Formats: sequence, C-alpha cells, structure tokens
Amino acid sequence: MKDLFVLACRLFVGGVFIYASLDKLAHPQAFAEVIHHYRLTPYPLLHPSAHLLPILEFVIGSALILGLGGRGAALLAGTLTVVFMAAITSALVRNLDISCGCFNTDGGHDVGLDLLWRDGILLLMCLPPLLAPRPGFGLDRFFRK
Amino acid sequence: MRLGASVQAALAGFKWSGPFREAGLLLLFALVLTAASWFLRSDGLPLAADPMEYELELAAPLTVTEEALAFYDEGDYLFVDTRPHPDGDFQTIPGAFFIREASFDDDLLEYFDFMTTKDHFILFGDGDIFPVSNIAARMQDRGYQNLLILKGGLTSWLQAGGEVSERSGGES
Repeated sequence: MKDLFVLACRLFVGGVFIYASLDKLAHPQAFAEVIHHYRLTPYPLLHPSAHLLPILEFVIGSALILGLGGRGAALLAGTLTVVFMAAITSALVRNLDISCGCFNTDGGHDVGLDLLWRDGILLLMCLPPLLAPRPGFGLDRFFRK
Repeated sequence: MRLGASVQAALAGFKWSGPFREAGLLLLFALVLTAASWFLRSDGLPLAADPMEYELELAAPLTVTEEALAFYDEGDYLFVDTRPHPDGDFQTIPGAFFIREASFDDDLLEYFDFMTTKDHFILFGDGDIFPVSNIAARMQDRGYQNLLILKGGLTSWLQAGGEVSERSGGES
C-alpha cells in the first residue's frame, strides 16, 4: 500500500515536471523572457538558465516516472520547487505583475498566492519518494542493494 | 562550541551516497544534455544574453544609428544628451539638450521654453541604455511621450560618422 502511494506521488510529480518542461523546451527564447521578468537572474546567467532548467525538469520527471534514481530525483524536484516558491514570493513582495511561466511561456497564470499553495502541495508530494526506505516500483529495485 | 561540534559530527557522518549521489548524477546528466542540445540546435538561444534583446523593459523604444542619422538630417527630432556632465571638453551631437539623472529637474526647467511635450526626442548616453531608460521614464512622467533611445549611444553615432560638436564642461 505504501509502495503504491509512493508510486502515485512519483508519477504525479514526474508528470507535472515533464509537462512543465515541454513548452519551455520548444520556446527557449520565450522562456528566457519569462525568467527575465522575475528580475532575479543576471544577464550572464539568463540564457544558460533558460537552456538548463527545462532539460533538468524533463530529466527529473523522467527519473521519477521510471523510478531510476527516484530519491535523488525527488530531492532535486523538491529543491527546484523551493527555488520556484522563493522566486514567486519575491515577485509577490515586489508587486511584479508577471505571469509565472510554470507551464506556458506564452502568457499563462499570473503570479499569485495560489501558486504558492500549488507548489507547497507539489513539495509535500516530493517527500514520500525521497524518504521511501525501499525502491518500490521502478528501475531502482534492480540497482539498489 | 556545542553547535560547532554538532556541525562537525554531521559533516563527518555525511556520505556522498543515496539521494545526494543520485541527485548529483541526474544534475550532471542534465548538464551534459543541455550542452549537447545547445551544440545541436544551431538556431537555438545563444549562451550570452544581449540586454538589448530585452528592450521591452526599457521605458522607450530603441532606434538604431542609421535611423537616428536620418531623423537628424530631417530635423524632426530633438536630441537629448543624458551622460553625466564631464569636467573638460567633450563631444556631443550638435544642438543636443543636456538632461541628466543628477540634475534632472533643473535641466528640464532650463529647457522649459524650448522643449514641449509635443516634440519628438532621441535620448542618448555613452552606450549603456539603462540609465538613459531611467531618464526616459522620468521624462514620460512629465508628459514627454514621443521618446526614442539611441542604441549604442554616442559611440555608435561616432562610428557611423555622425556629426558632433565640441563643448566644454562648464557649458550646458
């Protein structure tokens, strides 16, 4: 039963991360503009971030769904979610009227408190795969002793 | 002391294994994939971001030197030098007004009779467009809406062979 719950969390978080990466992978320039709108990233890091983040999201999502390096993927997913929450909080504090760019680089959801709740839930769902004592369903069971 | 000992003990107990090792490997894999995709996508985003590309953040649209030279010849635009006041002699675009961040209100007052809100202006600096954009934003607050920012500033104007006049630091 516990394994099923961990699997459900992994599939959900993994699906969210893969879905979030697709539009960004297709439109790196638009995603760079989304990052720029937060006014947190210096220009030298802007394009490298726009290249790396969607690929990292896709890798994390795939690892969670396949159950390969699942705990590490959950750790990265949780860390990224905390980073996203910090960026959203920072935008809210500065009253920036911007779209979050979470799933869609073309407009999308405006930055607001509801996003923090949503990311909070996502963060909680990263915990079961991270803390799971056994590999559960997935490729990890073939590699973990 | 106690805290230091606890941190030392935690660091000694830390092993580069489990989720940390997996996370490190996944991060490394993502970095390799990112590098590969950057090399393979010839039409992709360059690694270095040009601040000019993000001009939407600027208070006024940019104009390129060739366009500005044409506007200068037609005489439809007034030029505004936004660079900080130098001490010695300096070059500027002939007929340019001087409006600077540090003396913005005084400068605007000085040109009150010569600059109307219906006039068209091209603002320029030394190439850094963001200080120029700040002045454009302040001018917009005062009702000057027809503003352009010269991309590359006086440097690109000189490179394109634009006319300049010599001014002394005491003059305005």
